[in-house]
Amino acid sequence: MRKTRFIIFFVFILFISLMFTHGNVYAQQNEIKIGVLYPLSGALATIGRDLQRAAELTADMINNKSPGVDLPMASWGGIPNLGGAKIKLIFVDHRGEPDRGADLAKRLILDDKVVGLMGAYNSAVTKTVSAVAERYGVPMINDSSTSPDLTERGFKWFWRTTPHDNFFNKDLFELLKGLTEGKVKGVKAIPKAQLKNLAYACENTEWGSGVAKSLEAYAKEYGFNITKGILYNANSPDLTSEAKALMSVNPDAMLFASYLSDSLLMIRTLKSMKAKTKILWGQNAGFEMADFAKTLGADINGVLTRTVFIDKITRVKKVAGQINALYKQKYGDDLTGATARSVVGVQTWAYVLNKAGSTDPKAIQKACNELHIPAKELVMPWAGIKFDSKGQNILGRGLIGQYQLKSDGKISLEIVYPFELATANFIYPFPGWK
Amino acid sequence: MEKLKDAFDFSDFSRSERIGFIIFTIFLFIFPWLGVSSFAKTVMIQFMLFSLFGMGWNTIGGYGGQVELGKAQYVGIGAYTVALMMVWWKVPFWISMPIGVLIALGYSFIIGYPLFRLKGHYFAIATICTSLVLKDIFDNWALVGAAKGIELPIHDHPDFLYMQFKSDTYYYYFIMALFYIAIFYMNWFRKSKLGYQLRMIKDDEDAAESLGIDIRWCKIKAYSIASAFVAVGGGFMAVYNLYIDPASVMELSLSIKIALMAMLGGAASMWGPIIGAAFLVPLDRFLGSWLGGHKGLTGIDYMIYAMLIMIVSAYQPRGIWGIIEDLRKRGK
Repeated sequence: MRKTRFIIFFVFILFISLMFTHGNVYAQQNEIKIGVLYPLSGALATIGRDLQRAAELTADMINNKSPGVDLPMASWGGIPNLGGAKIKLIFVDHRGEPDRGADLAKRLILDDKVVGLMGAYNSAVTKTVSAVAERYGVPMINDSSTSPDLTERGFKWFWRTTPHDNFFNKDLFELLKGLTEGKVKGVKAIPKAQLKNLAYACENTEWGSGVAKSLEAYAKEYGFNITKGILYNANSPDLTSEAKALMSVNPDAMLFASYLSDSLLMIRTLKSMKAKTKILWGQNAGFEMADFAKTLGADINGVLTRTVFIDKITRVKKVAGQINALYKQKYGDDLTGATARSVVGVQTWAYVLNKAGSTDPKAIQKACNELHIPAKELVMPWAGIKFDSKGQNILGRGLIGQYQLKSDGKISLEIVYPFELATANFIYPFPGWK
Repeated sequence: MEKLKDAFDFSDFSRSERIGFIIFTIFLFIFPWLGVSSFAKTVMIQFMLFSLFGMGWNTIGGYGGQVELGKAQYVGIGAYTVALMMVWWKVPFWISMPIGVLIALGYSFIIGYPLFRLKGHYFAIATICTSLVLKDIFDNWALVGAAKGIELPIHDHPDFLYMQFKSDTYYYYFIMALFYIAIFYMNWFRKSKLGYQLRMIKDDEDAAESLGIDIRWCKIKAYSIASAFVAVGGGFMAVYNLYIDPASVMELSLSIKIALMAMLGGAASMWGPIIGAAFLVPLDRFLGSWLGGHKGLTGIDYMIYAMLIMIVSAYQPRGIWGIIEDLRKRGK
């Protein structure tokens, strides 16, 4: 009996002691804490890890000066207008669960006393996290969620640097239109009748279903037919029936909104069924991850992905090349659309803090609303960063890249849209699998 | 009156259990004022929420002995009723929540009637299926926001009508009230006629039938009670998170989690679901919060979590409560 009591007592004490631990025990002075929420475990762990790396690299660049980078912030060594205070990123793992994200946001705001938030990649999690930030009046800069709804809610404490899915879906239809008009590099005009029928498969949460809705709307606007539309579960272990359903309508273009594991599964399933189509396009996320190309190799020759960053940008943009080189040197991969957005997220935070010259939320709010980062100071091929009254960056734009198999047997992502930035001839039709 | 007396009568528990319960109650009551971190408060809210789910599950899954793995659909019904009524017609929480419970009850009768023609594994699979079908419908149903989910409008001040507060302390005491109502209800339930009938059914269905117990009707009743419990929790989730989508309130993993916590704590015991939630919720949340953001340690929290579940279930299939009872017997 004594033993039982002892064990129960011990567990109870252990439990209580857990409750009193605060995350800010080791906090130092002269630090500005930013809470960063990413999916670091579970199905999106790979993406989360890359985002975390890019954010850390950028914070490091600002805090410790990087002589090789031609950006003002690389010579700051901290935030100048805040007495050289360093940026400290506190990462938490929300696993893609909206309720966990909200709880962690409360931890960051109330326990860790962060100045602001960044993240959360999954649009559904960004929704709950930004609602918490709004309630507590804490600024949140969203670097990587692309659901259009996020900036349509009239929030006063939410800003988004990345363009949203409506920008990107429009790009896709501009590309399709360009194909019919002969604007695409290396391809003669294709009769519209040969490209008319489209089919999509999108993952079934906030983001994917939003993409689906927007694709339907743009298809109508640009005069294309959606002959089949599927929403599927991104964690599903098998996508055979979805792939079959797509193939059953024999579409001219297959469009996807998938995360990493499901995009790999989808391509493999389509390959095993020897699916045929003329265009295969993915709405970034899974399709633009470094692991997508690494895992599938030659199988993705001709696959398109929308993105905001392709390493070929480095040829035309010096800054992008310099930061990409730093990232590659440290982690072995090129920056991707997702990771480059994370760089921009931290960068925006640094600019905002410097402009505000204070960590007071009101000052930060004002700084965000008045912020303007010129194009030449970004790794992105954007016209800059400037938020509208809803908090959306109006100067962003997307790219469409195509994976192309080079003569050395390596897969390279080439820019095909916007047409004036094209770095290679477009491969049309999609070569398919043998 | 008799029923009310039964609900508050804990005299058949051992003295140490009663003392433990009183200490635990005092602890819960003063917890927000102990200077704990606000993350700890959110963890406690989750703990009480999942205890509520677990106690509901315990009626059919524990006392009734039916492997029920589809509770998430009722969480969803509760959550969606509150959210939709608030967004469409601005109906206060106190009206929409009971309506959600009624809808869950009605739906559970409709589902339960054919479902309880099945037994054992077939029943378990069928409960999973009904839940998945409902999730698929909600995933594609544009009227209820489809997979994009529903966002509740944020109200400025402490709003008791719509249950919206800036501070979690309000939510804490609200869920605590629900938690204690559930405990008293369960205390009555286990001594009620239905409670005894269910245990009889669990031990031997044929014998129960020969005594004139309407087996199917008993099971349906227990199933509906369980559904009502989780629908209350679902309604709470909607106002607490201010955003719901099928993936967060109707996912299979939620059903499994509810059953897992109750089973791990000890099914068919009064304290089992509470102990299960007290063990798994803090473990999951604290490990995730500490280790999740550290490089090189990502994923370790999952491993520790899974390992502890395996150790407990291998050591004592009756769960943690079984272990405590064993220790007690040995101590005597």
